[in-house]
Amino acid sequence: MASEVFNPNPTVIATVSPTARRRAAHARHSLWLLDDEDSAIYPSDDEPEPIDADEIFDLIRSISDPEHRSMTLEELAVVSAPQISVVPSRVLIEFTPTVPHCGMSTLIGLSIRVRLLRALPTRFKVDIRVKPGSHQSEHAVNKQLNDKERVAAALENPALVEVLETCLQSASRRGL
Amino acid sequence: MEIAERHVRTWVASPRDKEIEDTVSGVANGQLKLAHVVKALGEYLTSEDGDFRNKGVEFLALVVSKCPTDNFNLQSGTGRVLCVKARRHRNDNSPPSKASSRLLASRFLFQKIYMIYAQREISFGFADLWRCSYRRSIFTNVNMQALVQVQRHTVFSIFDSLVALRRDVLKSMGDSFLSGYIALADGEKDPRNLMVAFAIARVLAIEFDISKKFEDLFNITFCYFPITFRPPPNDPYRITADDLRNSLRSCLSASPLFGNLAVPLFLDKINAGSPTTKRDTLQTLAVCLPVYGPRVAVNLARKLWNSLKLEIFQPTDVETEGEALKATQVLIKTIYADEVRDADLDGLAKDACEECIQILKEPEKSQAKPAIKVLCAFMSTTPSVSRFTLSHAVPHLTKHFVDPDELPNRGPVLSLLSSLIAAARDSTVKVADTEEAFLLPFKDEVLGILVTGLKAQTSLRPAIEGLNGLVTTLGLLDDQEIGFVVQKVNEVISNQQEDPLGARDEALDLLKVISIKTPSHIAEMTLPLLFSALPDQAPGRDDPNLFETLVVRLSVRLSLLYAPAAVPDDSEPSAAYVHALLSTLADVLSRKVENGDVDVQKYVDRLVPRLFNLTIHGALVATGNKSVADPRIIDVIARIVNLVVQSLSAQRQETFAETLITAYMKGDITSLAVGDLSLPTERCFAPFDPAASESQANLIALFSESVIAFHPEVKIPVEDESALLVQLLNWGIRHAKTGRQRECAWHIVAVIVNKRPADLDSFLDTSFTTFWDEQIAKLLDTDVRRRAISAWAWISRALLVRNHPKALPFVNRLFELFDDTKVGWDAARAIGQAGTVDKVLTKRNHAVIKVLHAQKYASSILPKIIQGIKDSTEQSRQITYLVSLAALIKVIPRAAYSHELPILMPLLLRGLSLPDPTLRAGVIDTLLSAAQADAEAGSKTAKEGSVVSEHAVSLTNAMLLNGAAAEMPVVVRLSLHHPAYRANLEEQRVRLGALKYLAILPKVVRYDVLHPQKAMVLRELAKALDDPKRVVRKEAVNARSV
Repeated sequence: MASEVFNPNPTVIATVSPTARRRAAHARHSLWLLDDEDSAIYPSDDEPEPIDADEIFDLIRSISDPEHRSMTLEELAVVSAPQISVVPSRVLIEFTPTVPHCGMSTLIGLSIRVRLLRALPTRFKVDIRVKPGSHQSEHAVNKQLNDKERVAAALENPALVEVLETCLQSASRRGL
Repeated sequence: MEIAERHVRTWVASPRDKEIEDTVSGVANGQLKLAHVVKALGEYLTSEDGDFRNKGVEFLALVVSKCPTDNFNLQSGTGRVLCVKARRHRNDNSPPSKASSRLLASRFLFQKIYMIYAQREISFGFADLWRCSYRRSIFTNVNMQALVQVQRHTVFSIFDSLVALRRDVLKSMGDSFLSGYIALADGEKDPRNLMVAFAIARVLAIEFDISKKFEDLFNITFCYFPITFRPPPNDPYRITADDLRNSLRSCLSASPLFGNLAVPLFLDKINAGSPTTKRDTLQTLAVCLPVYGPRVAVNLARKLWNSLKLEIFQPTDVETEGEALKATQVLIKTIYADEVRDADLDGLAKDACEECIQILKEPEKSQAKPAIKVLCAFMSTTPSVSRFTLSHAVPHLTKHFVDPDELPNRGPVLSLLSSLIAAARDSTVKVADTEEAFLLPFKDEVLGILVTGLKAQTSLRPAIEGLNGLVTTLGLLDDQEIGFVVQKVNEVISNQQEDPLGARDEALDLLKVISIKTPSHIAEMTLPLLFSALPDQAPGRDDPNLFETLVVRLSVRLSLLYAPAAVPDDSEPSAAYVHALLSTLADVLSRKVENGDVDVQKYVDRLVPRLFNLTIHGALVATGNKSVADPRIIDVIARIVNLVVQSLSAQRQETFAETLITAYMKGDITSLAVGDLSLPTERCFAPFDPAASESQANLIALFSESVIAFHPEVKIPVEDESALLVQLLNWGIRHAKTGRQRECAWHIVAVIVNKRPADLDSFLDTSFTTFWDEQIAKLLDTDVRRRAISAWAWISRALLVRNHPKALPFVNRLFELFDDTKVGWDAARAIGQAGTVDKVLTKRNHAVIKVLHAQKYASSILPKIIQGIKDSTEQSRQITYLVSLAALIKVIPRAAYSHELPILMPLLLRGLSLPDPTLRAGVIDTLLSAAQADAEAGSKTAKEGSVVSEHAVSLTNAMLLNGAAAEMPVVVRLSLHHPAYRANLEEQRVRLGALKYLAILPKVVRYDVLHPQKAMVLRELAKALDDPKRVVRKEAVNARSV
């Protein structure tokens, strides 16, 4: 972990329970209160479910913050569902560093990118941006995160990959 | 004397047990004295020749160890001789490098004698002698560094028994003993010896006067802290790091004298150590501080707090944080242990408290959480500290809450407050004489702001949590105040807005908590509210009075909905509403049945007739409101009827059976369907009539669910039960209009066969021959044959669960069909179906179920199938057997086939390529559950594990094939019961299972086996990431990130 702490005391937000969200969505569709096991586990109609912003948010919400290992990106409001937009095969993710001088921004962006690299089908093109106006060197960070060569180079650095892996360890927790 | 010499000489010449025994018996009956034995041994014991000396010592050792205890008095001379010998012996043999193994052995024998003596000393007056010679001889003669572990262990054991048995003598020796021992124990490294050494040191620290020597004792114990020992693999001694840790800890916490020396050492370790060391140190600190006492604690309080603070506010991990909090609690408790006064608290608690409150000025920041944790920890220390904490923290938080500038931060403030309330509730500290809650002085303002918090979306959840804390605090809120809370929470529930944070669930939980304490409020305020709105969940499941209200209200509502007057244009919502109401009722009922409530029975008179009334009315009177006769509603009603009938006694069931048969078979519904709705007399009720309408036939579900629940003693009131069954079979095969109706008929047949086989001999015989021939074997209509096979499977199942002798013949007939191209697979599936655990033949439904019937089934059918696969030459026949294996394997217990797994695995692998997704899903589920069990057992080396690794590669490939979605076949919206829809669901199950299996495989198979596959698997899994279904994608992501 870097010696410099950029934001020792960040604001924490409450996380949204995924079950409530899912159920609310489910309730809108279904009229019947079926307690059939199948309908609880499987969606009750046979339409394909395209990948949406919520699902992508679900993939990245529980990545640990590199600076505060015990907290997730969601808790620190670094990422949120409204900051993600999906058009077929194209994802744009905006994230908000906790402080404008946060030196970890690139690492956060990189961890999001790696997670999506592993968890999204290859047909997706992923753009990751810092929320406009939320970081001092916004332009540089954006450039770094969306440069294929530089991402690939970063992933060849064993020390960096190790830090990334520790951040991503919690990623499969998702909303739980 | 002479006898002794004779024995000795004989024994030395040819060692036999007889001489030993003779000598021992001589000593025992007084003929011989031990001194004689020693004298007789004299030349051997002093011999220059090692062999001789060994023999001598061995003889003596054997004799001494076998001698009865009471022969040792007045024989102190022996001891002296022994000591002298031992000393000389030792001197002879040092330096140890020269000692031959034999000499070492003889030294060991001496130690054995020492030990025997040390243990035997108890009752005899050796004390003085031992003090001067033996003891000193150990100190001066034993060179610990020169001994091997076993011998050092002996020395420690000697000390251990001495300390245990001769404590007074050792005490009187004073510091000379202590310094002797300390010198001796210094530098010990072996964990086995340390376990003993720590135990001794603890006794020394507690019992002995160590005021002069405590630094030395400190040095030889604290040098081991913290324990970083890691037991070697396959350690036969089974000493774990935890054993050592605990025993060292009890040693460190033995004396308050260690305090001033120990705490700085602990602080060092906390600041510098690894997480494990930190945790260990914090735990040790928590054990030691109370012993070291308040003086040490006060002196070092600041330093301790600074270290602990660091661990709490910048925790390395959750566990360490918890330990640090506990240590803080202990620290505060130790400091303020003696204080009784309340008024002004100073020192650490005050400072720390103020420090935390300072941090709480920014409640939305991350540091506020640890701060409130510290305050919560303070709540369980001493009464004065708790009171002080609350009296500062609560007003601070309330002030913050009402501050208009802090409006956005109300949520965090309330969540902090609610943790404090919960901590106050769970506080282990009780004010001695009163049951008064700490929060009492602040009750009104806290309640006030929590209720205010209910009004805003952001602070809703913490507010409910806080109220929950308040309500569950004993003796805090009075009845009226709880009523107030209920009223306010009702407002939350009835709020129709979106509820993205899931607050409504928590509100309901809160009401549930309240309903356990004071049901009256819920009955008076919440239930009416819920019933007037759309009732979505029933609180207060446990209270019979509440249930009564529920039933009455719900049935009124039901009647209203069924009333012909109220026919809306779109009837589906109202049907769904009825379904929801009835489901609620069924859920509550099933919970009551589980609890064994007796009042369920009475609803056979109150509820059941009305339900029949409603449904039969719905079926007979075609009002255009078709949806009330919806099969889903009928199913739920059938479930309710089943639950009520289950709980009846056999006699009561008999009368009910009478009514039921009268209605269903004879069409007389006057006594069954009593209710508000008048039933038309001109239309007859005959659901089993082939010409009956579908809605009438649907009502057979009610009939079947009732019959299912009958006790075995209840006779179905018809003339001939066999005839009834034949009629039902025939109806099911030819006339039933839907799958569900058919199932109902099979259920009835199955339960009657299961419960009353004694009366059904003729039925079983005729069906075994005639039914089989006519309906299954020779018939041409494939559909009819399929239905008959499924009925056959049900009958087999019914016989099977009660271990009926006819069960296996019934199942075995199915094998005859395996060559049939049309129904062969159905027969194969039926073999699995006969073993499937169902919801009909259950204990609760009073079915006759024998233990281990599934094992018996598996052991008789499985070999037959395996044999069948081996023997069949034709491929189609072989595949049919494979189908039966796939169908069977998922329904039989794992233990029944695990020993066959090496043979089964290749077959199952082939099963993975069967075209039927249901079968594949079954096979995958079987493999998955086997793998999960393996993973839980943590055995990569277990027997089944090795089978899996053997086939790892082919398993991986098969699973990858199954895990990838084919082209999405049907995009149209299909109804729930459409076969294609089912097939899609099964496909989805296959994909899910396959991906889960791939995720678990690395846990069961060694890495080196799977490594060559890794890149390929990752690449293939990428396809599954693009699955059309969200659940499948999720599993793919999980599998990929393993």
